[in-house]
Amino acid sequence: MSEPLLVLDNVTKNYGAIQALRGISFSIGRGEVVALLGDNGAGKSTLVKIIAGGLEPTSGRMLFEGKEFLARSPAEAKAAGIETVYQDLSLCTNVDVVANFFMGREITRKVLGVPVLDERAMEAVVGKALANAGTRIPSLRTKVEHLSGGQRQAIELNRFVHWGGKLVLLDEPFAALGVEQTRRGLDMIRQVASQGIGVVIITHIMQQAFQVADRIVVIRHGVVAGDVARNKTSPDAVINMITGETLAGAGPAS
Amino acid sequence: MSPRTRHSLELVLDNLVWFMLVFVLAVFSIFIPNFFQLGIFANIVEASSVLGVMSIGLALVIIAGHMDLSVESVAALSAMAVGIMFCSSGIGLGLQLYPDWLMVPVSLVIALAVGAIIGVINGFLIVRLQMSAFIITLASYIWVRGLVLVISGGRSAQDLAPAIRWFGIQRLAGLPLTAWIAVACFVVFSLILAKTPFGRHLVMIGGNETATFRAGIRVNRNLIIAFVLAGAIAGLAGWLLAIRTSGATANLGVGLLFNAFAAVVIGGVSLKGGVGTLPGVYAGVLLLSAINTAINLMGLPANFTQVIHGLLVLAAVLLDAFKQTIRQKLA
Repeated sequence: MSEPLLVLDNVTKNYGAIQALRGISFSIGRGEVVALLGDNGAGKSTLVKIIAGGLEPTSGRMLFEGKEFLARSPAEAKAAGIETVYQDLSLCTNVDVVANFFMGREITRKVLGVPVLDERAMEAVVGKALANAGTRIPSLRTKVEHLSGGQRQAIELNRFVHWGGKLVLLDEPFAALGVEQTRRGLDMIRQVASQGIGVVIITHIMQQAFQVADRIVVIRHGVVAGDVARNKTSPDAVINMITGETLAGAGPAS
Repeated sequence: MSPRTRHSLELVLDNLVWFMLVFVLAVFSIFIPNFFQLGIFANIVEASSVLGVMSIGLALVIIAGHMDLSVESVAALSAMAVGIMFCSSGIGLGLQLYPDWLMVPVSLVIALAVGAIIGVINGFLIVRLQMSAFIITLASYIWVRGLVLVISGGRSAQDLAPAIRWFGIQRLAGLPLTAWIAVACFVVFSLILAKTPFGRHLVMIGGNETATFRAGIRVNRNLIIAFVLAGAIAGLAGWLLAIRTSGATANLGVGLLFNAFAAVVIGGVSLKGGVGTLPGVYAGVLLLSAINTAINLMGLPANFTQVIHGLLVLAAVLLDAFKQTIRQKLA
């Protein structure tokens, strides 16, 4: 692999006296799917928030596309090309599907110099994106509060597939999905990665990680406890890394 | 249920307050002698202009998920500032500008600026220091009214300059220009809220602030703008109030805040944020004004108005809950 997409170099995060991250170092390549595993409280979500601009690291540095990178807000991360799907859904249930899909990036046209929402153009884009992904939602003008949990999650997933960017972070994206939808979601991730986009997926389900990831990174007590290619390890070995027993089969990926 | 009946039912639910307004006007026209005439309807619109303008600003911040209790006091301070500068008797300084019409833009800018400054203070404290909008604007409600008392010494200013008064006297199609200003404000801000990215962002912030932050929307900036707008709009309401009363008294506009809240709630805006439209709020304002006019016409003691307003707010909240259950069945 040539130059990695994102490099984390000894990133730490303290909450007062508590060290949530004690020095995380790993890297993600273009078009690579990395599964981030770890027990509850290991620091996975903290790490995702630091990359996504929701939190600032206490120390350490990040390189994005070879350049020094630090997102002070989600807006900055987005501008750099980093999309995030959080485990608690980031939808505004009081507005319709189209408005959610375009949240913060509305298509506008100028009327007398004032930007005005171009609803028709946006609806067309959303209709196409959902149809491509095989998601069926009765009306794109339905408020999201009237949709089921699965439909909501599908909107989020379709949103990141559509916007893409350069790096996608997924924090337990399949929590509310059924079997068929999960399978389709995993396909979506492969499809996104095949376009050269880096993907980081946090999951608790070992089977999902092995289905979709190229590489598995395990975090334990705020440090990287294992960083292995998927085809060089086994679920049992990964579980041992997560729980901290013997590091059989673990080792640097390179 | 066919899509068409579902669609029309949605339409009725979305605009319920307008149907209520038409219904109430029809009932009054039938049962109250002399109610059904153009002059009365014009009077309803005219009497609602100050309250209407104030309700716009309040509705904007409530839709964005916050609260502004200070609008009433801000309007009073703006009115007092205009009154002191451009009134010729009482505590008025009787400032003269030439040509006369220059006093209109100058007084308007002063009123808007006073409101916007207090809006900035409110917005900054609430957003940057993450304090509760209820407490911060309650404090503003008190200290701004205190400031009105301080600068007026409890006395009043009368005889506003005729060039400014002109807006309250000159009529266009049966309505004074002040009423047209209120109508224009509703049109402009309704369009902003429904059709521009800024309006869409405010509604989404009111719905789920975390989601909008994660989506890269500049939440703090938008919220501060909303508070500044609410302040400036309250300033405009104060300007209209000064014209209407041809001056300003220290207790000008007391009680307007609760009427504004009533109008906003009756208009279908949820205090939880994220729900409501400005045309609905205007219907709420007109509804309150229609009831006041009816009470006047029937010769009932004015004290009844408050009882009826209170019951109306209660009815609006119950209706809202009822609407929710219907919607859940629709979905």
